Amino acid sequence: MPKRRGMRTWVSRDGLSTLVFLLPLLIIFGVFSWFPIGRALVMSFQETNLVSPPTWVGFNNFVNVLSDPLFGTAVSNTLYFMLLALIFGYPIPLVLAVVMSETRHFKGLYSALAYLPVVIPPVVSVLLWRFFYDASPNGVFNSILGWVGLGPFPWLQDPGTAMPSIVLEATWAAAGGTVIIYLAALLSVPPELYDAAEVDGASIWNKIWHVTLPHLRGILLITLILQFIATAQLFTEPYLFTGGGPANSTTTVLLLIYHYAFQNSLGGDYGMAAALSVMLAAFLGIFTAVYFWLTRSWSTSS
Amino acid sequence: MMSRVAKWRRGGAPEGDRRIVSVADWRRPGVRRTLRTIHGVTLVFLFIVGMGPLLWLAKSAITPTQDTLRTPMALWPHGFDLSYLVTAWTQTHIDRYFMNTVWIVVGCWLVQITVATTAAYTLSILRPRFGNVILGLVLATLFVPSIVLLVPLYLTVVNVPFLNISMIDTFWAVWLPAGASAFNIVIMKRFFDGLPHEIFEAARVDGAGPFRLFWSVVLPMSRPILGVVSVFAVIGEWKDYLWPLLVLRNPDLQPLSVRLPTLQSSTQLDIFLAALLISSAIPIALFLLFQRMFLRGSGLSGAIKG
Amino acid sequence: MVALAIVTVSACSSSSTPSPIASAPVASAPVAGTPAPAATPTPATTPKPVTITVCSLLPGSTQSAFDAFNLRVDEFEAQYPWITVQGQEYQWLATTFTAQLAAGTLPDVFTIPFTDGKGLIAQQQIVNIDSRVRALPDADQLNPNLLVNGQDSSGKIFAVPTAAYGMSLTYNRTLFTQAGLDPDKPPTTWDDVRADAQAIAQKDKVAGFAQMATQNTGGWQLSTLTYALGGRMESVGSDGKVTATVNNQYTIAALQWLQQLRWTDASMGSTFDYNWSSINQAFAAGQIGMFLGGSDLYTTLIQNDNLNPADYGITTVPLASVSTAALMGGGTLAAVNVNTTEAQRDAAVDWINYYYLGDMTNQNDAVANAKALQANKQPIGVPALPIFTKAIYDQDQTWIASYINVPTAQMAPFMNSIFTQPLDSEPVASTQTLYSLLDPVVQAVLTNKNANITSLLNAANTQVQAAIDKGE
Repeated sequence: MPKRRGMRTWVSRDGLSTLVFLLPLLIIFGVFSWFPIGRALVMSFQETNLVSPPTWVGFNNFVNVLSDPLFGTAVSNTLYFMLLALIFGYPIPLVLAVVMSETRHFKGLYSALAYLPVVIPPVVSVLLWRFFYDASPNGVFNSILGWVGLGPFPWLQDPGTAMPSIVLEATWAAAGGTVIIYLAALLSVPPELYDAAEVDGASIWNKIWHVTLPHLRGILLITLILQFIATAQLFTEPYLFTGGGPANSTTTVLLLIYHYAFQNSLGGDYGMAAALSVMLAAFLGIFTAVYFWLTRSWSTSS
Repeated sequence: MMSRVAKWRRGGAPEGDRRIVSVADWRRPGVRRTLRTIHGVTLVFLFIVGMGPLLWLAKSAITPTQDTLRTPMALWPHGFDLSYLVTAWTQTHIDRYFMNTVWIVVGCWLVQITVATTAAYTLSILRPRFGNVILGLVLATLFVPSIVLLVPLYLTVVNVPFLNISMIDTFWAVWLPAGASAFNIVIMKRFFDGLPHEIFEAARVDGAGPFRLFWSVVLPMSRPILGVVSVFAVIGEWKDYLWPLLVLRNPDLQPLSVRLPTLQSSTQLDIFLAALLISSAIPIALFLLFQRMFLRGSGLSGAIKG
Repeated sequence: MVALAIVTVSACSSSSTPSPIASAPVASAPVAGTPAPAATPTPATTPKPVTITVCSLLPGSTQSAFDAFNLRVDEFEAQYPWITVQGQEYQWLATTFTAQLAAGTLPDVFTIPFTDGKGLIAQQQIVNIDSRVRALPDADQLNPNLLVNGQDSSGKIFAVPTAAYGMSLTYNRTLFTQAGLDPDKPPTTWDDVRADAQAIAQKDKVAGFAQMATQNTGGWQLSTLTYALGGRMESVGSDGKVTATVNNQYTIAALQWLQQLRWTDASMGSTFDYNWSSINQAFAAGQIGMFLGGSDLYTTLIQNDNLNPADYGITTVPLASVSTAALMGGGTLAAVNVNTTEAQRDAAVDWINYYYLGDMTNQNDAVANAKALQANKQPIGVPALPIFTKAIYDQDQTWIASYINVPTAQMAPFMNSIFTQPLDSEPVASTQTLYSLLDPVVQAVLTNKNANITSLLNAANTQVQAAIDKGE
């Protein structure tokens, strides 16, 4: 500690240079983070369309959002999306990572294949999959499934299958990254633990259940929360796949915010967009807080 | 936290056989057969899932539209035509949009690195009097999901406060907001906190000023963490769609991600698929070239997040 | 280095964006909201150099289409040597227009649908060009029924109609022949349409009839169907108060008709999220037998979608035999951005007169335009509704008669009876909102076998009424 104080007195003679080093942070955060955050809060209590001067409307925007029939749809769609993403996207990477960590040959090939979809630009993936999802019997997926006597399925053209189709692509595109994260975490399991289990005569399955998984507990919880936060903010996939359709079955909260702000060709309702954003922020803020609390306890405990 | 990363990096390759499946397990024929089957199935699965769509795209990029529409899984029932790739390259100007993407990624990376290193250097090493207040304000932004900023940030870029200029249709509108990443600053600061301060003392005794200290001592020492932040920056901007869609309306400036959906509805399918193939080929080539770096960066990002 | 290069690019390509480096004599744009001085007529002496940005073509148009456009720009600049014209790709989309408006990235001259004219005038987003337009030689010949879309309540002109379309039934002649139908005898009633759609679906294995359903086009097409059956989406009271009537019996009938094609006949294919661009693309690729499209669609189908001209056929939209049945028509207005100088506004109206109107009223311009299009193998003689009087329209047709290269015989079913159809304009209040609220209704009918049409329309009606009352 005394050393640090020494540094500080040294710096106090150079207040100007400290300020110079601080400038990028102050300017960038001031203009592109702190100011817009404050503005979002202010706007959520205003009626503004950028054309006429803004007026204060109290909680009107929040009331309007909450009474919009689409709000309930968007919330339940978003929760449905999160649930599906959990079912599709959570176990598969874990199983893959455990299997891949035990391969003796072609390690690089496994990782490269798993990671390949992550490298493809997301927009390219969506546009390509949009074509795969062609609902005619001649569609790519329907042709393949037709070989084994399945389908044709409507994919994006049906309110029931549109959301699972979107989540399937999103999982395909993201799973490789999660696999690599798990692989790294698996390598951090202390080998002594496996040795000890081996001495106790544990089977392979027992070792996975009693050594590997408990050790991954922390990172599993964290990827879970990160996935929640990320899926709640997903925009590109539903926007490009369906634009929220058919019949609003894939309208997520984020799409609704975009809709409020930019959909009406004669000027958006930025107040309602801001109000819904603030509500989403409050909700996600809870998850974020839990995330930081967890990572803090995690890093101090290890 | 960093110690785990360091351990993993030191370890490099996994430690021999001391894993879930021990040497003893491996010797049993039943186990070996089952495991080989599982590995084989996994490899085939990964191949179909990872390579399948790309192989199909490669096939269809040189197949006439009508064949792709009517028999998407047939191999060139009416021959193939490489000219679609040429047309896609020349007519849809993939090269221009790819370069736009590159400029955007490079610029964002530069801004992010600049802000993160200078900020972390100030907050961790120079430690000005109001450092903790500023750090608190930066940390607070971590709790605000980026989507909340969509509309106000857009309005800010349309009319930048004090300057009264619009950054719409300039790359600055993408570059500068990218710098406001609290996450970068936090991990960079933690790294700087862990550096041995004796070295800074020694540098000071040698007469190095704050700039010299930053440039010649701190930056060279922070190469590992710069790599991690860079991977985050590049992957993040590579995926960005909504923001450039809003602020880059001029087609000449749009990155691939924004331009391709527009082209989809106005380009013939064969040419469009060729354009998609070219758009994927470049990043895949880069990935194969720098595979080790990519995978290590991603693994590290997990370790950091952990 | 990097930054400099990029900024220069942006300065060259869009003069409406303030940027640190101006490479051309670009007049600086005043800040939005600055009160504009009163309009002045074009001075007699040669004015100072001025640059304007204008809409060129849809994104993704072929190079030869751009070449034809550039040829016209060169001619214009030769006639008006002090004006520099910079083309900018442009497509009006309800979903992106407001972002462009808010950001000030629209060109100095831009086009909007008839439906947004009044709203943009009320919001003071477009310039009063009344005196400039009235000074044009043929201004008094503009069709007053169309002009009204670009006028404020006192009759001041803010935007000029540049194109008017009546909806048409667009069909694929090749698919008709393959299905055993006579392409020269297209359907004339909705029952015929249904029967032909069924034949095409069965024989050709493609969609017999297709319907747009996203980006406000679902509501737009549903309104077209409703009008043709005799209904209207809004009624205007004697006090001027607008009432939403989207749950009227004709709209219900229109949706039931779609329901029959989709679920009873299965003749609508398997894609139900078409928008304007993607349905054109699918039609050009031979995946659609019939759909409702603007009569001027041929140009886009050629320029963007590589249509085989032999496939193309249009006829008039069948009208039910009730007195209120009408053809819904719309069109495009050209307007001038408020972020322009007086000199730019003068130049903008000169451009509108030259590019959008001149080829209809002036023989030299008409022939020059036709030659430019011909040189680049672009369509000439695409059917459209007259912007000016029918007499001027007919005269124009004789000027360009020898240049016409579109398959007129295939357009005959449309041309023979379009001028006898009663034309009515789109819903007047909150039009785009009305369309966007009806999109999910159309989607529901097309994707959910058990969709309850009445309750969907009742719910939509409440929302449309709320939007009208709020003035959105």
